Amino acid sequence: MKRKLIASLLVASMAMSMAACGAKEETKEEAPAASTAEEETKEEAPAEEASADEGKVFNIYAWNEEYKGFFEKYYKVPDGVTVNWTIVPSDNGQYQEALDNALLSQADAADDDKVDMFLAEADYILKYVNSDATQDVTALGVTDFSNTYEYTVQACTDTEGITKGVSFQCCPSALIYRRSIAKDVLGTDDPAEVQEKLSDWTKFEAVAKDAKDKGYYMTASFAETYRPFSNNVTSAWVDENNNLQMDEQIQAWIDQTDKFMENEYTLTSGIWEDEKNAQMFAEGKTMCFFGPAWYFNFCMGNAQDEEKGCYGDWAICEGPAAHFWGGTWLLAAAGSDNPTMLADVMNTFINDEEVCSNLIEKEAQFTNNKAVNDKYASDPDYGNGFLGGQNDTAVFAEMADNIKFENQTIYDQILNEGLQSNLQEFYRGSVNKETAMSNFYKLVNEKYPSIVTP
Amino acid sequence: MKNTKKEPEKKIKSVSYAKWGYIFILPFFLVYFTCHFIPQALTIYNSFFENYREGLTQVGPKFVGLANYVKLFTPTAEGTIDILKYTGNTLILWACGAAPQIIVALLLAVFFTSYRLKIRGQQFFKTVIYMPNLIMASAFSMLFFTLFSNVGPVNQLLLSTGLADKQIDFFAYTFTVRGMVCIMNFLMWYGNTTILLMAGIMGIDQNMFEAANIDGATPVQTFFKVTLPLLKPILIYTVMTALIGGLQMFDVPQVLTKGLGMPDRTSTTLIMYLNNFLGTSKNYGMSGAISVYIFIITGIISIFVYRNLTKED
Repeated sequence: MKRKLIASLLVASMAMSMAACGAKEETKEEAPAASTAEEETKEEAPAEEASADEGKVFNIYAWNEEYKGFFEKYYKVPDGVTVNWTIVPSDNGQYQEALDNALLSQADAADDDKVDMFLAEADYILKYVNSDATQDVTALGVTDFSNTYEYTVQACTDTEGITKGVSFQCCPSALIYRRSIAKDVLGTDDPAEVQEKLSDWTKFEAVAKDAKDKGYYMTASFAETYRPFSNNVTSAWVDENNNLQMDEQIQAWIDQTDKFMENEYTLTSGIWEDEKNAQMFAEGKTMCFFGPAWYFNFCMGNAQDEEKGCYGDWAICEGPAAHFWGGTWLLAAAGSDNPTMLADVMNTFINDEEVCSNLIEKEAQFTNNKAVNDKYASDPDYGNGFLGGQNDTAVFAEMADNIKFENQTIYDQILNEGLQSNLQEFYRGSVNKETAMSNFYKLVNEKYPSIVTP
Repeated sequence: MKNTKKEPEKKIKSVSYAKWGYIFILPFFLVYFTCHFIPQALTIYNSFFENYREGLTQVGPKFVGLANYVKLFTPTAEGTIDILKYTGNTLILWACGAAPQIIVALLLAVFFTSYRLKIRGQQFFKTVIYMPNLIMASAFSMLFFTLFSNVGPVNQLLLSTGLADKQIDFFAYTFTVRGMVCIMNFLMWYGNTTILLMAGIMGIDQNMFEAANIDGATPVQTFFKVTLPLLKPILIYTVMTALIGGLQMFDVPQVLTKGLGMPDRTSTTLIMYLNNFLGTSKNYGMSGAISVYIFIITGIISIFVYRNLTKED
């Protein structure tokens, strides 16, 4: 008992000191931001003042630093308002858990502690959109959706047609390939010709064999092709009676992955693991990755590494199946005490041309503003250095109109991750497929008591 | 008047300090009652209810009697009762970490306290062996996770020295994953146990050792015939606390296997199982039932171990 007591005391003191550090850091972080904002406003004539009756603290929940970076660079925080970020990683549903707790205690929280805005991904956005935790943004003054892509609005509109937020990016997902390897395997690195040779899954598999023969991997993770399949499902993960159902597309992904693993066209690494990321270095042997704009500008750091990377040796094309992946929606939390700023943030990221232009030019994003995207798509001088000068916006613009947001459930994140991690054990050779699937069902039963599994 | 005068005298004569004893132990009981007893009662209470979250909607609490316990012990399609499997996992992980921990700690404690060896730099060694205990368990697990990953330093070393011709997937085998958990628990706790046992040995009268020495006992004989029997109370205490801590093993395997208990859930401990219910859906009913189960199991095993260790030959 003493040992436990000592241990728990240590933990408690550590937790307290960490909490203290955290708090300090926060204030430290805020201080310079606030002061620079002040300086700017002093220099630049009358900036917008926060409405007198609104809160002085703007609380944002997010699962990584991506949006925080853009927000801090491109959004001018009204004078006197402090922005508080709460960042919780999303693995295993941790972010959802933290967010749920905050939103459910929103009513009792002090004004300055209330969540004002939170970020959500496609995999679980419906949970928040179809709840009272979010509020109508059109009532707050976000009314101009003329330039946004339809699916981004669809995703954050509830069953009664009320829109609860906006997406600051549009995420059609492309096939990202290594130019040098494509040249070796396909004889060309021209996006149009590569697309021609990889336009469906049969061709994709045939090329995988050629790649293997030349000593390359087609993809670097068994789950790399999960999204292109799972995004084209014709039925949701659960039916109206809450039965778990396996769509044909998911089954097709499993079948293809079986083949890929058997022939060693790919690796047993998960999509976020070091082993896969190591393949992005210049010495990597992998030809294809799948991902939207955020993937190559935020998750392919290894490829952009100055010493070991291969900047410029990449290009994108649509690939075998049109799909989208992820995307970050900004949702308006019900009970926010900063409604004006909330609407202003949302409007800025979808309708402010300057900000959207910056997102494309400086951040290699694909924005949720058609007019700005089209401007860059048709600009012959615009090109992305990472992609060897290819105009990625043009590729994405063409794909974006085809995206549909359908067959989504509130359970998707845990189900997608759970299926992948349990099948990974099968592909690693630890268990047979039946056991892997039964372990997946166990996980589902534990996480969601209401879902009926086979 | 007479009476009132005499009364104080009487009181002084029969003054009792007993109440101070109660007052001094009161804080403990208050803390125990609020932080331990009430939560425990609530846990038991909750285990009889259906009570979880579906998205942001609360389901229950609805009284369901023993349904949660029935569910816990219902065999799966393959005919195994999962909770028993996780109990087994937990005990194996504990035993494989605790056995070497106690043996090594015992040896070190004897060495450090031996008046014949007089090891130099004792303070230094004591500090060093205690060090791993100061690292956060989750940080330690992350370290092992990175070290033994497919592209981690261990694999690189094995490949470059030619000890392996292909990278070894350490997380694909029950043996290696459990081994890592045991090594980590061993490293984290053996220093602590050493210090405890040293205190125990130093509490033994030195004359005993000298007497044994004069009587011609070898160091091994001294250890088994003198040190061990006299150390028994402390040793039992150490084993019991390690056992109770071990049954609640969570952070090391959770972080190492990202909560999956891979492979095939063979490193899923009871608390990790509980955590699966508690995360995401906040299922207080099921996690309450598991807690009660752990409580009962801890009680049974503690009694069993205690009986065995204190048994007179």
